[in-house]
Amino acid sequence: MNKATRIGKGASQRSARNDSIGTSNHISRRDLVGTLASLAALTIVPRHVLGGAGHTPPSEKLNIAGIGIGGRGQGDLHECNSENIVALCDVDEAYAGKVFDTYPKARKWTDYRKMLDEQRDIDAVIIATPDHTHAVISMAAIKRGKHVYCEKPLAHSIWECRQVAEAAREAGVATQLGNQGQASEENRLVSEFIWDGAIGPVHEVHAWSNRYISPRGIGRPKETPPVPKTLNWDLWLGPAKQRPYHPCYLPFSWRGWWDFGTGVLGDIGCHQLDPVFRALKLGYPTTVEACSSGVNDETAPLSSIVRFQFPARAGMPPLTLSWYDGALMPERPDELEEGRKFGNPDDNLFIGEKGKMLGHRLIPEPKMKAYDRPAKSIPRSPGHHKEWLNACKGGPPARANFDWAGPLTEVVLMGNVALRMEKQLYEKGLKLRMDGPNMRVTNLPEANRYIRDEYRDGWTL
Amino acid sequence: MKDKTLSRRDFMGAAAAIGAFTVVPRHVLGGAGHTPPSEKINIAGVGIGGQGGSDLRQLESQNIVALCDVDWRHAARCFDRYPNAKKYKDFREMLDKEDKNIDGVVVATPDHLHAIISMAAIKRGKHVYCEKPLTHTVREAKLLAEAAREAGVATQMGNQGQASEQTRLLCETIWDGAIGQVREVHIWTDRPLNGINKWYWPQGVDRPQGQDPIPDTLDWDLWIGPAPMRPYVGKRTYNPFVWRGWWDFGTGALGDIGCHSMDAVFRALKLGYPTSVEACCTLVNDETYPVASRVTYEFPARGDLAPVTLHWYDGGMKPPRPAELEDGRMWDTNGKLYIGDKGKIIDYRLIPEPRQREYGKPPQKVERSPGHYNEWVIAFKGGKPAGSNFPDHAGLLAQVVLMGNIALRPALKNKMLSTKLYFDAEQFKFTNLPEANQYLTKEYREGWTL
Repeated sequence: MNKATRIGKGASQRSARNDSIGTSNHISRRDLVGTLASLAALTIVPRHVLGGAGHTPPSEKLNIAGIGIGGRGQGDLHECNSENIVALCDVDEAYAGKVFDTYPKARKWTDYRKMLDEQRDIDAVIIATPDHTHAVISMAAIKRGKHVYCEKPLAHSIWECRQVAEAAREAGVATQLGNQGQASEENRLVSEFIWDGAIGPVHEVHAWSNRYISPRGIGRPKETPPVPKTLNWDLWLGPAKQRPYHPCYLPFSWRGWWDFGTGVLGDIGCHQLDPVFRALKLGYPTTVEACSSGVNDETAPLSSIVRFQFPARAGMPPLTLSWYDGALMPERPDELEEGRKFGNPDDNLFIGEKGKMLGHRLIPEPKMKAYDRPAKSIPRSPGHHKEWLNACKGGPPARANFDWAGPLTEVVLMGNVALRMEKQLYEKGLKLRMDGPNMRVTNLPEANRYIRDEYRDGWTL
Repeated sequence: MKDKTLSRRDFMGAAAAIGAFTVVPRHVLGGAGHTPPSEKINIAGVGIGGQGGSDLRQLESQNIVALCDVDWRHAARCFDRYPNAKKYKDFREMLDKEDKNIDGVVVATPDHLHAIISMAAIKRGKHVYCEKPLTHTVREAKLLAEAAREAGVATQMGNQGQASEQTRLLCETIWDGAIGQVREVHIWTDRPLNGINKWYWPQGVDRPQGQDPIPDTLDWDLWIGPAPMRPYVGKRTYNPFVWRGWWDFGTGALGDIGCHSMDAVFRALKLGYPTSVEACCTLVNDETYPVASRVTYEFPARGDLAPVTLHWYDGGMKPPRPAELEDGRMWDTNGKLYIGDKGKIIDYRLIPEPRQREYGKPPQKVERSPGHYNEWVIAFKGGKPAGSNFPDHAGLLAQVVLMGNIALRPALKNKMLSTKLYFDAEQFKFTNLPEANQYLTKEYREGWTL
């Protein structure tokens, strides 16, 4: 009875919005999914069990819910506003206020769990909360058969990345990571040029980002100011360990705090290393080493260099990938013309046996101009968000779906494991040796505590 | 005059008093002008609360006759150790009053005072031991080296490692061709910060607001010396020791450690001036050096020796751990890695260790040191010049080290993204970025000259 009421409610809401969809008697896929999900509770229901592709037809609009909407979520929703934005969820009413106003018809929620339980008309969710809640929310949505767009990094820990990617694959939902650069022309050119042998075999890549994300290299504040009335601090903390509220954590500035964010590497790595992973067909590294301006258990360092060693891959030699943040960069390459700027805030330098590429361009520029470009072998994107919307409606999988995003984020987060173990690695005279497929550090057992976060009581994946 | 014999130091005093601020070459004063080996020399210490006190302890075989410090509280322990030494706050007053009693001066003040005090001493014909880095600016190092050469005084910079067996082994191993031509060297240090719970001194911070009452044991005006005046702030903001991070007083991690760790590189690879300097660093302002930086110097070929790229890292940054370094072997927080065509050396040993054992010891070519401090004492008693004397070694080393700091200047940062700094040693200037040349030198506060 209760269930039926909920179905009816969802349907009538939709009909109020769009008469062409039908009456409350029309049981759509999304209602069905809602029902099944509530019956099956915490089991994953593969979409094919639900009959047909389980996708919203291209002619029909998706019903999208945004979770974590005050910051980056707002931009993601804007990119998807050709669809129906039916629900908005944020634990910070004040920060989310302007976005609530943008979509006055959407229902407002504070707790995503309640929203997913009670609002039945949701097809897909966009998650743009702090990193530490990405996985629990993604998983809850996937378990209900919702399509998921999740901001980068995919999750806060390596273990979470693996679980979320596997669950999404099993459920057959459409997924996309928020690394929109992957949809660009430049991203494809990098692969096409390298595969064409434009710079010969590549042994070395340098990637850097000098984003200022939040204060880092600092300790936990001692003051305990009152929680603002507009904020649900307990929900903001989610699965993270309890700690007193402080304005230094939010909005946005959680990125530097290990319990919530993933540092500059986690913030930018999934963007910037995407073309590197694609062009050089990288999988898991064999070793990771890190050095920094000082690491502690509270915040990521102010600056760091992380170096990943990858084994040989089909037709490609072993490779060292060096990551720099906090405004550190590799040396200026001799090939770069005098007077030409080196030092975009984020960039990649590819060093091959026959040449170098800065970003997606051969250096020096005359070499680029003279280059006989290969055919465009990689399909171009209709747009990063559009890829996902298409996938939700039965189109091909989005290019940064979780099968791609999971391993990519895992490797990025391995860098953070090495950073957090910097002192121990130094004392023991080691690099971190990784068994990627088994999510294990093989030469420093205590490092494995950073592979999987402990959740606070009452929270599970 | 307590002695009927006119000793060298009396003679020097008289001559200096006549010549006032001109440099009087020692040979003009007749004879070698050195204290005979049998006689003890009289030493004055300037800046004695920190490293200066340690330096003096190494020189206790001689007479410690005068002590000068602007901070008498910080200096108290050193004063107590040498109760017979005369105490001063102002080195100028000390040099005036004790002129005839002092043979040599040990300078261990903050960096911004090194050149002025050393130069004043050299002009009076005193032998000088000065802590590293030799000076605060590139030009000061050049002028000081020239003045020391002209005056013929015995000099030594405080980079004690130069006297070590390791430095000699490194040179001999590389000259023996053990790793072939060396084209790449990496040097790193964890200074200024090593994690938030342990730090040497702050960098990457701004100037504090307000001011504190100046302790009556401190002469702040003299501490500031030639630097622009600023209000005193306590709480270990500027002194003691932590002045190192401030542009106006110190020379950052590079200045502190560079003269130590680049010394062996300069000797082994016979380096001179670089052709270019390039750098990147964390947020930097006009007050303090950055928290972490990387500075890259390029040196041209020297005779048969290949061009060399020297990479400096501080603030905990390191080069990639070489594959040759065995698992379980510590990759230290401070170190040097030499990459040759035929092998690698960390500090002074081939890696991996079995390679060093197989190689054994290189043929001995460099004379062993009687000790870093003793070298100086021997030099001023007429022996051979000390290993890190200003004209032949320390002047150049300090100049090159300090050039790296110019590449970190916040005002140049934007332009440095589009170029490296190219240095022309003949013209003694950067050729491609004229505004960088102002940082080769500095303006002194009124009343102060070199």
